[in-house]
Amino acid sequence: MSELSSTTGNLEVPYTPPPVTPKLPPREWIRANLFSSPFNSTLTVVSGLVILGILRGLLSFLFNPIRQWDATATNLRLLMTQAYPEEQYIRVWVSTAVILILSGLSLAVWRAGSAVPLSKVGRNLVATGATMALLTLLAPFSASATVQWLIASAVVAAGGEGIRRFSAIRSGSVGSAGSVGSGGSSGDDGRTVTTLTLLGVALTGLVVSLWVVPYGHHSFILDRTPRVMAEPGTVAMTTKLPWTVMLVILVAAYFLGRSLRDRLPTNATRATLLVSWLLAPPVLLYLVLRDPSFDMGHVLGTDLPIFGAYAVGGAVLLSWLTRPTTGEVGRIVAALVLIVGFCLFLQPMRMIVRIDMLMLACFALAAPTFAGGQRARRRYVVGWLGVLGVSSWLITAINTPSTVDVPGDFFMGGLSLTLLVAIFTLVVSFPLGILLALARTSTMPIFRLLATWFIEFVRGVPLITILIFFSIMVPLFLPRGMHLSELAAVVVGYSLFSAAYLAENVRGGLQSITRGQHEAAEAVGMTTGQKTVFIVLPQALRAAIPPLVGQCIGVFKETSLLAIIGLFDVLYIARAVMPNQTEFMGSTRENVLFVSLIYWIFAYQMSKASQRIEKRTGLGER
Amino acid sequence: MTQPTHSSSTGSSNTHAAVSARVPLWRDVVVLKWVTQVALLAVVLGTMWFLASQAGDNLRARNINTDFDFIERPVDIQLGEGIDTHPDTGGRALWTGMVNTLRLSIAGIAVATVLGVIVGLARLSDNWLVSRLASTWVEVLRNVPLLVQMIFYFSVLTTLPRVGLDTGPINGWLHISNKGISMPRVFIADGFYQWLVVVLIGAVAARFVHRRRTRIHDETGANTSPMLWAIGTVALFGLVGLFVHPAFSWLGGVFGAVAELLDSLPVIVPQVVLAAAAIGLAARWILRFLAAHRSARGHLALTDDDWFRVIFTAAASLAIVFLVVRWTGLSSWILNSGRDLFHVIEAKFDVDGAARPFDAMRPDIVQKGKFPNYGVNGLTLSLGFAAVFFGVVFYTSAFIGENVRGGILAVPKGQTEAALAVGLTRGQVIRRVVLPQAFRIILPPTGNQYLNLTKNTSLAIAVGYSEIVQVGTTVFNQTGRTLPVVAIWMLFYLSCSLTISVIVNWFNVRMQLVER
Repeated sequence: MSELSSTTGNLEVPYTPPPVTPKLPPREWIRANLFSSPFNSTLTVVSGLVILGILRGLLSFLFNPIRQWDATATNLRLLMTQAYPEEQYIRVWVSTAVILILSGLSLAVWRAGSAVPLSKVGRNLVATGATMALLTLLAPFSASATVQWLIASAVVAAGGEGIRRFSAIRSGSVGSAGSVGSGGSSGDDGRTVTTLTLLGVALTGLVVSLWVVPYGHHSFILDRTPRVMAEPGTVAMTTKLPWTVMLVILVAAYFLGRSLRDRLPTNATRATLLVSWLLAPPVLLYLVLRDPSFDMGHVLGTDLPIFGAYAVGGAVLLSWLTRPTTGEVGRIVAALVLIVGFCLFLQPMRMIVRIDMLMLACFALAAPTFAGGQRARRRYVVGWLGVLGVSSWLITAINTPSTVDVPGDFFMGGLSLTLLVAIFTLVVSFPLGILLALARTSTMPIFRLLATWFIEFVRGVPLITILIFFSIMVPLFLPRGMHLSELAAVVVGYSLFSAAYLAENVRGGLQSITRGQHEAAEAVGMTTGQKTVFIVLPQALRAAIPPLVGQCIGVFKETSLLAIIGLFDVLYIARAVMPNQTEFMGSTRENVLFVSLIYWIFAYQMSKASQRIEKRTGLGER
Repeated sequence: MTQPTHSSSTGSSNTHAAVSARVPLWRDVVVLKWVTQVALLAVVLGTMWFLASQAGDNLRARNINTDFDFIERPVDIQLGEGIDTHPDTGGRALWTGMVNTLRLSIAGIAVATVLGVIVGLARLSDNWLVSRLASTWVEVLRNVPLLVQMIFYFSVLTTLPRVGLDTGPINGWLHISNKGISMPRVFIADGFYQWLVVVLIGAVAARFVHRRRTRIHDETGANTSPMLWAIGTVALFGLVGLFVHPAFSWLGGVFGAVAELLDSLPVIVPQVVLAAAAIGLAARWILRFLAAHRSARGHLALTDDDWFRVIFTAAASLAIVFLVVRWTGLSSWILNSGRDLFHVIEAKFDVDGAARPFDAMRPDIVQKGKFPNYGVNGLTLSLGFAAVFFGVVFYTSAFIGENVRGGILAVPKGQTEAALAVGLTRGQVIRRVVLPQAFRIILPPTGNQYLNLTKNTSLAIAVGYSEIVQVGTTVFNQTGRTLPVVAIWMLFYLSCSLTISVIVNWFNVRMQLVER
C-alpha cells in the first residue's frame, strides 16, 4: 500500500523540462568548443588537418576519371534482383507496391513522425550548403564544374536561409540574424513541419529528378553480341515510370490510412497491420515473386480435404479444451494427441498430415493457458485456423514448381536475397530464441542444461563455420527422398545461430522482471503458462528491445557472409560477378563501396529507429 | 484450492511425503515436471540418433570417409604464409592455420583495445571537432558489415605499387607495396628463456616491493607510489638480466630430469591423479553446495532441482573416473606430451653462453627469378593479413569505443563532484575515482568484443589469408574429410572462446567491488 501511494505521489510531480542551455553566438561557440585551452587548440588543428586530408582523399577517389561508376549504374538491376526475367518484372514492382502500401498505412496508423521547427530545417540546409561548398573546393574538379557546384551549394544555403527567415517572420520573433537561432530553437513559438513532410518532399524531389536531371541511360543490350549502352540523357522510361507510380502509391496509402485511422478501432487496425507485415514476406515470395503453377487437381483432391479435416477436427477439439471447466482430462487428452502425433510422424505418409498433427498437438498442449470466456476461446480457435491455413498453403506452394525461369538455384539474388534471408532468419529465430531463453531460465534442470549447452556452443564458434557446415553437410543428414535447397539449409543454420544470440538478449529481459511480478501472477491463480505468456514475456521483451534491435542489425549485416559460401547476395555480385564483366574489369572497389553504402543506410536507419523506440517507451530512464 | 507446488512443500521431507501421498500421480507437479523433461530429452536424443544414423548411411552410400587419418597423411598444400608454408601433413597444415589465427587475434585484440580507448575518449572530448570525428568513425564503421570492409581494404591494398629493389617510403626500414607492408622486427633469440627466468624472479621481487611500499603508505600516509616501484623493480631485473642470464643455463638440466621422470612413470599414476581430482573436486562442490543450503538449525532444504545438481555432479565425476580408467590412451598421451614439452623446454636452455635474449632485423628485398620480393628478414604483413587486421581492428575499435564511452558516462556524477570536493585534482579524479569504476563496467562487454574479434578473423577466408577456416577448406577440398575438419574448427574456436572468457572473468572477479 505504501509503495502504491508513493508511486502515485511521484506521478503528481509536474514534469519540468531540463534547462535549455542558451545557444552561444558563433565566435564564442568556437572559442568554447574548439580553442578553450592550448591543448584543445592543438587538437583542433590536428584533427582539422586529418579531416581535411581524409575528405580530400575520399573525394579524389570518388571523382577520379578512372573510376568506373558506370559499372554500378549499368548493373543496378543485377544488384537488386540479379537475373529476374525482364518480362515478369512486374512481379517485383507489385511486391514493392505491397510493401509501400503497408508502410504508408503503418506510418499513418502509428502516427509516425514528429514536429521539427522550420528554423532548424533552415539552419541544417545552410550547414549543408556550406559543407557542399567546402567539399567542392576540396574535390579535384575542373574550373567549370567547381563553379557549377558552388552555385548549387549557394542555392541550397540561400534556400535554407530563406526558410529560416520565413519561419522567424511568421512566428513573430523580432531580432537580427544572430539572435534568431536562440529564439527559434527553445520553444514552440517557431513554425514547425513534421518529419513525414520532409521525407515526402525529399522522396518527391528524388523522383522528379529522375524525370528532369540527365543522369544518363545505362543498360546491357542483349543482342547477339551483348554490349553496354551508356548514353547521356534522362533515365529510361522503365525506371522512372514505375518509381513515380510507387511514390503515388505510398502517398495515397498514407492519406488513406490517415482518413481511416479515426474511423476504425485502433487496436484492431494495428493488429491487422502487424499480421499483414508478418504474412507479407512469405506471401510475396511464394505467391507473387515465385509464381507457383498449382496443380489444381491435386490441390482440390488432396490438400483441401486434409486442411478441412484438420480445421474442423482441430476447431472442435480446441474449443472443448479451452473450456475452463474441462479440467485435467483436457491435459491428458492433449498429451494423447502429442503421442499420436509422434507415432504418426514415424509412419510413412504425407508430410503435410504429419506436420499438421504435430501442430495440433502443440496447440492442444497450450490450450489450457488460453482457457477463458466465449471470446477468448473463439480467438484461440481462429488463431489455429489461421496458422493451419497459412502453413498448409505455404507447404503446398513451396512444393509447387515455379514458372519464373532463371538460371541457378534460386530465382532471386542481390539485395532481394540479402533482405529475404535476413527477414526469414529473424522470423524463424525469434520464437526459437524466446523458447531457448525460457528454457535457460527454467527451473527444470534438463531443459536448462540443454538450452545452456546449445547456446554456449553456438556462441563459441564463428558463423562462417556453421554456414559452411550447413551448406555442405545438410543433404547428408536428411532421410532419403527429402530435399532441402542450399539456401534453405543455410537459412536454417543461420536461424539456429541467431536464435542463440537472441536467447541471451531475451534472457537479459527476463532477468529484469522482479520477483514480485511472478508472485503477484501466482497469487491471482495463474498457471505457469499463463504467467509466462501474459505477465512475464510482454515485460521482458519490452525491456529487451534495444539489444534485440542491435541483434537484428547484426543479422542483417552478417548476411554478407553468404557471399563466402557462393550464394548470389549483393556482396557476391559486387565482388565476384561485376568485376568479371568484360566492360568493367577490376571495378571491385567502386562496387564494394556502393554496397557498403547500401548496408550502411539500412543499418544506420535501424539503429536510429531503435533509439527513437527507446526514447518513446522511456526505456533506460526508469 | 490451488495445486501444491513442490517448492512450497519442501519445508521438510515429512510434509512433502504427506502431500505427495494425497495428490494423484498425474497431478503431482514434480512427477509431471520430470516426465516432461525426460520426454524432451528422449526426443532430442532420438532426433540426434536418427540424424546421425541417416548421415552414417548416406556417408557409406556415397563412400565418404570421416576418419581423422588425414592429420598424419601427406597432403599437397601450399599456404600463403605461416610457420610452415609447405606442410607435410594435414595436421601440420591445420596447425599452421591455427597459429595464423592466433597471431591475427592477439595482435588485433591489442591494437583494437588501444584504438578503441582512444575513440571512446575522443567521443567524450570537449573539443567539438574531435568528438564529431570519433562519432563519425563509430557510426560509419559499426554499420557496415565487417566482410564488406575487409574486401574494400583488400581491393585498395592490391592497387599499391609493385615491389621494386629500392622502394618504400623509407628504404631499408619500411616498405609498402602490393606484396604487403614490411618493417623491421624484433624477435626473441636463443638466450630469451634464460632471460625470462631472471624477469620472473624480478616479478616475485616486485611483489614484495609493492607490498612493502603499500604498507609504508598505510602506516605513514606518505605518497610511496608502490606501482611505480614494482614496475621499476621488474625493469631493473630485466636490464640486469640482459648481462647475467647465462647464469641460468643449468635450468635446462632440471627440465630434462623432469622429462625423464615423466617418461619413467607408469600409466597408472596420471590415471589415479585424474580420478582423484575428479572425485575430490566433485565432493568439494557437493559439500559446499549442501552447506550453503543448510538452514541455521541444520535442516537440509533441497528442491528437486538441487537434488538434480548434486546427483548430476556426482554422476559426472564418476563418468570421468570411468573414462580415465577405461581409456588408458588418454593417460599415456598426457605423459608423452608432458615429456615432449619438458624436452622442448630443455632444448630452449641448451644454448651457448653468449646468446642474446633479443635480436632485431631490417626488412630486405631479394630477387629470386624474375620479380623482386620481400625476404625473410623483416616483419612482413601480407596483403591478406593487412586487410583482415585493419578490418577487425577498425570494426572492433568502434564497438570498444562505445563501451568505453558508456562505461565512463555510467560513473555517477556525484563521484566526480565528491572527489573534487575533497580536494583531488582533475587528474587524480580521473585516475583514482572515475577510471577504476568505469573499468568495471567496460570490462565485460569488451571481453565479448574480444571473443567477437577472434571469431571474426574467420572472415579472412574471403581475402585468402591462411587462417584455420581457409586452411581447413583447402584440406577438406583435397581429402574429402569435411566432417572431421568442421569438428576441429569448432573445437579450436570453442577453446579460444573458453580461454578468453576465463581470462576476462578472472579480471572481472578481481575488479568487482567487494561489497560489505
